[in-house]
Amino acid sequence: MKFKEIVFTDAEAQRVYASYIKRIRHVLKNLLPADSEEILMEFNSHIYESIESRGDASELKSLLDATDKLGDPELVLKPLVADKMLDKATRSFNPLDVLKALMLNITNGISYIIFAILYLFLGAFIFMILAKLANEEVGLYFKNDQFVALGFVKNTSNYQEVLGYWFIPLMLLAAFLFYIAITLLLRLKKSFLKRN
Amino acid sequence: MKEEFVTKWKSQVKKGTLSFIVLNAISAKELYGYELIEIIKSATAIEIAEGTLYPLMNRLTKEGLTTSKWVEQESGIPRKYYILTSEGKMTLRAMRKYWYELETSIKSITKNEI
Repeated sequence: MKFKEIVFTDAEAQRVYASYIKRIRHVLKNLLPADSEEILMEFNSHIYESIESRGDASELKSLLDATDKLGDPELVLKPLVADKMLDKATRSFNPLDVLKALMLNITNGISYIIFAILYLFLGAFIFMILAKLANEEVGLYFKNDQFVALGFVKNTSNYQEVLGYWFIPLMLLAAFLFYIAITLLLRLKKSFLKRN
Repeated sequence: MKEEFVTKWKSQVKKGTLSFIVLNAISAKELYGYELIEIIKSATAIEIAEGTLYPLMNRLTKEGLTTSKWVEQESGIPRKYYILTSEGKMTLRAMRKYWYELETSIKSITKNEI
């Protein structure tokens, strides 16, 4: 079975339809031809049935209504394409396919990875304060005016610890600033998600 | 009332129950995508972004709960019908059992006046 174009009597409807199909094809271009054809045919059938069910409404209006409700192909097909790409990659062993599939699947969760790392930093500052209380040698170490380490060094004789007990208030300040930054970023992400 | 909270909660409930609703709908009769969406809309008043149904159907098929077949139409635009597999039937039975249990617990926990 093959994809069959829907024929409209209204030339403008035909143009809008062609452009929507083109967008679907573009989103599916990296998939196996059989997968891509199957998805295209299913969306095409959806558009056709939706228009048919509207009966006597104008072709263009029915078409726009159908595509509006289906959504942007770039958005609604994303999880399906990510899934099929992963299937293709695990079958073909083609490193390019693997890369593309990973990129598609990671972008959904990448912001959470970033937040996880930021929170880890926040935890690290707090941990440093406790470590300083337990072990005086925890600190900010420099060697010849160059930063070497934040935390603990095995042999302190070659390095200068520059903060002394200022270490604790400074770590508190760093943790506080990180906390503010993360919260602002989260707020930004939330408003971004809402808009999309 | 905290409207935003309720809206978010509703959308989570919908998301969480959509596969259950879909499996129930096709358990009664083989359906094609557009028809399935119409049935969900009329039976549950859930407005789903129609395009999101197809990734879900792909997942259910991959899990072995549903299968599909293309059926030629006079119009020349074939329909893809979804069918519940025997594994899908067993899974749906287990899901329904859990749903009824949940319903009973929710009823008992929500019977007080507020």
